Amino acid sequence: MTLKSIYKLLKRRALPCLAVAVIPLFTGGWFNWLSGHQSTFDTHGPVARSQLDVFYATCWVTGITFLIVASFMAYAMVKFRARKTDDLQALTPDPGHGNPLIELSLIGLSVLALVFIAVPTLKAIWYTYDVPAEEKANAYEVNAIGLQWWFRFEYPKEQIDGAGPLTTANELVIPAGRPVRVNLRTSDVIHSFWVPKLAGKVDMMPNRGNHLWLQADNPGYFWGQCAEFCGESHAVMRFRVIALAEADFAAWVAHQKKPARSLTAESNSVAAPETPYVYTNPGRNAPGYTAAFEANPFAGWLSQQEIAKGENPASIAAGRELFKQKGCVTCHSVRGNEGMGVTGPDLTHVGARSTIAAGLLENTPQNLHHWITKPNELKPGNKMFVGVPTSGGSVMAGYVAIDRETGETVGHNIVVNDDEARALVAYLHSLK
Amino acid sequence: MSAQSQTHSAGHAGHDAASAEKRSWLFTRPTAKTGLISWLTTVDHKKIGLLYAMSALFFFLVGGFEALLIRLQLAVPNNTLISHQLYNELFTMHATTMIFLAVMPLSAAFFNYMMPLQIGARDVAFPRLNGFAFWVFLVGAIILNIGWFVKSGAPDAGWFGYAPLTSTAYSNQFTKDMSTDLWIMGLQILGVSSVVGSLNFIVTIINMRAPGMTMMRLPVFTWMTLITAFLIILSFPAITIALVELMMDRSFGTSFFDVSNGGLPILWQHLFWIFGHPEVYILILPAMGVVSEILPTFARKPLFGYPIVVFSGATIGFLGFGVWSHHMFTTGMGTVATAAFSLLTMAIAVPTGVKMFNWIGTLWGGTLRMTTPMMFALGFMWMFMMGGFSGVMHSAAPADAQQQDSYFVVAHFHYVLIGGSVFALLGGIQYWFPLVFGRKVSESWGKTSFWVIFAGFNITFFPMHFLGLNGMPRRTAVYDGNMGWNEANFIATIGALILGVGIAIYFGVMVYTYFKGEKTSRDEWGARTLEWTVSTTPPPEHNFDVIPTVHARDAFWYEKTHAGEIAKEKASNALAEESHGGIHMPSQSWFPIVAALGILIGALFFVNHIMLGAIAGGAIMFLGVYLWAAEGPGGYHIHLDSKKINKH
Repeated sequence: MTLKSIYKLLKRRALPCLAVAVIPLFTGGWFNWLSGHQSTFDTHGPVARSQLDVFYATCWVTGITFLIVASFMAYAMVKFRARKTDDLQALTPDPGHGNPLIELSLIGLSVLALVFIAVPTLKAIWYTYDVPAEEKANAYEVNAIGLQWWFRFEYPKEQIDGAGPLTTANELVIPAGRPVRVNLRTSDVIHSFWVPKLAGKVDMMPNRGNHLWLQADNPGYFWGQCAEFCGESHAVMRFRVIALAEADFAAWVAHQKKPARSLTAESNSVAAPETPYVYTNPGRNAPGYTAAFEANPFAGWLSQQEIAKGENPASIAAGRELFKQKGCVTCHSVRGNEGMGVTGPDLTHVGARSTIAAGLLENTPQNLHHWITKPNELKPGNKMFVGVPTSGGSVMAGYVAIDRETGETVGHNIVVNDDEARALVAYLHSLK
Repeated sequence: MSAQSQTHSAGHAGHDAASAEKRSWLFTRPTAKTGLISWLTTVDHKKIGLLYAMSALFFFLVGGFEALLIRLQLAVPNNTLISHQLYNELFTMHATTMIFLAVMPLSAAFFNYMMPLQIGARDVAFPRLNGFAFWVFLVGAIILNIGWFVKSGAPDAGWFGYAPLTSTAYSNQFTKDMSTDLWIMGLQILGVSSVVGSLNFIVTIINMRAPGMTMMRLPVFTWMTLITAFLIILSFPAITIALVELMMDRSFGTSFFDVSNGGLPILWQHLFWIFGHPEVYILILPAMGVVSEILPTFARKPLFGYPIVVFSGATIGFLGFGVWSHHMFTTGMGTVATAAFSLLTMAIAVPTGVKMFNWIGTLWGGTLRMTTPMMFALGFMWMFMMGGFSGVMHSAAPADAQQQDSYFVVAHFHYVLIGGSVFALLGGIQYWFPLVFGRKVSESWGKTSFWVIFAGFNITFFPMHFLGLNGMPRRTAVYDGNMGWNEANFIATIGALILGVGIAIYFGVMVYTYFKGEKTSRDEWGARTLEWTVSTTPPPEHNFDVIPTVHARDAFWYEKTHAGEIAKEKASNALAEESHGGIHMPSQSWFPIVAALGILIGALFFVNHIMLGAIAGGAIMFLGVYLWAAEGPGGYHIHLDSKKINKH
């Protein structure tokens, strides 16, 4: 079979081939590809819905225009194709130069079509910008602060004596059925706050007080992600939003405001301690989720709030001691226990979060173990590993010491072996 | 006798004769017509065009290779093929390479080669400056890419380089990390090249048109060249200011974008996009020009609504300066600014749509010959239309809040940049190949490459619309497997490989054709514009034996239908030109490349913060420019009757 014959075959079958290729692209697309955790079609709040409505308006206008223009174009391509291809030079050019009347009416029609997009666009710009005036009094306010590469969330209305506002990380818990105004700040570069099912993104700009508003219709568990390139580990800067019914939300806030759980080695354990888990490094390409959690994420989050059965008080106490010894306290705080650091995420109730490492991994013992022992494998360049440069030119130590001149690793400040990691995991998971 | 050749021969002949004896070796003009020296010292717009084309196609392959690595990394969730750092370098360099080192110089190649031929000129207004623009471009390309070979690595802050990520605090992995400095320096140098080249094109188009070639008879490609050149000289100053400010921040401790000292990162975005959006039209208008040449030729019909196509191009260029903030809908501009930019962005769809209507009007009632260039031009119309529609979707700011920085945007701009610009430029290469090399790609191979590219392109980028609407953000090296993005990403990667095969076929066939392809006649396509009236293919050094006189918009079609009258006119013009001293040609020169070399040396020292070396490089550049001025314009005459080159 020569190439020419293959080409001829393809030419004859071009349309069916194309149809076979394109139809699943559309149908498969619409039915299977738009129902993900960050789908902009599966809206759960008025802001995302308003944005989707505008999108549908653009789809209708462009879709209809496409059908009209494409039919003319396809017709022209078929109808006016040269029949005799061997006598091309002999063809005399057609002298036509255009028709102003057609041109002007087409321009008029285009402008008219755009009006159908412009009107809903303008309405939605004002609607999505801030909480509607009549609901302002009812709105709940939170601060979201972007950092390389995680999110800090503050609840300015929930002040804790001597500790400022209630502060959490990477999982934003909000009341459902109530507008939430999110003040967007950053402490380093530009980040962007995006929870597609609740609202489109707004950037966290240095030197600029941005905000957005969103509202979850019902309690639920939503995926979010930083949407502005923010450096080496931008891809793994993720977060979650959990919407709770009003009463549950109040209970959650009350619990969060309490200081961390404190267990001593002598504490009476309810059940016999579980045997320690077996740890093997799952590797960089392991999925960050389990099938059980995927089946019902919201239930998964709720069960994460409960104290695990079979806690080992001795291990927890050892972990708490290691948390001091290894220097974790410099950057992290566990309110009530040790640690006053503000550089890293607040860990007061870290055990009750469904994810760790900024929404990257489900908060299982194995994943936390992985994260504590090899943070750079999961989130290259993270501050816990490389340290934090301070304004004085020195560096707040991370896991490794790095020569600023050359970028080479010259020493190890923190090494966590498997046993130590198990104790730290036990301690952190006890912080419900 | 044209006004332009009169001034040339009368003005320069005397000067040349007077200074001939006193010339030192330093000012001896190179005369090699073949070999390495002829290329290094060339001032011939056709040779410079070929240099641009070769470099652009080389970097097109480099950028394509980077894209394939990106797609391989994203083929499966949580892939470990390449690291986050390398991924960031790849997408930064893929964009920078494709925009500044592939599409722009490929357009510049067409500007250089075709525009003087289309207006009936023998060269551009400033031939040495033209050579300088190319060598400076090459220097910028080297600076941008040299990071791959040093420890710092390639630039990794994105092609948009948003402050403060580009500050030393956030982009330097170690003190001497110069990847961002390379990016800043490379872009500044490329800016010099683009502005110099554009000024040259503007002066050429305004001043050097053949007699009778009024502005409203210019081929649309030349019109788009003119508009693009204006866009470049008006938009590049904005990014140059931003880059200089950033360079000052990084090298000399200023605080334009440094937040802790009161700097404003948002300022960077405004300056960048005030350049960046016109840049989009800098990439697409030349492509529209190419398509506006191909369609009428193969439809055997003049362009439908020529004045409206020209004015809509100018309108696009004008409005292009008023829509930059639609790249910033999510930066919290407030309601009024967002609404204004939203409406202006919608408005720009009108002149773009007008072009589409006129191209369809051109096809309507014509006799369409489905040659390879025509396939690419029609492919352009379809794909650009789809990209245009997703562009309209972005203009609705609330919808854009979901689409911004997602794969929907990636799909959109690849439809307008590959489906638009690249399709048109690949078509343009096939269209003008017979003129430039006297050979043409076989129709079956040309069409095979088109269909493979077309299929691969759509399989790669169509699923990305869904990825974006399904919430996948751009510039992410990994994604988890539970997000519903696995299938679409895998299909996109397969598509990218098919696209790669298509491009490989295209290039393979092109190289084969250059050596062994079918020889073509002088007027292979039955074309309509002046570039096809040259006496031989490839065109002779002096382009036209006689400067043509233009009587109609489709000048060559008019010539073909009025052969007798044109022949008489040419004979008398030839006599007149000879009586004024013959065909005046510019002399070659070493100094453009010397000046560019000074820039290369200076830039390399500067990014390494060795200021003495940087000053030395600057000194070489100034010396080059000084000697360039001191050697004088030179020039010689060709006498066609005796076929002897008579040096003055």
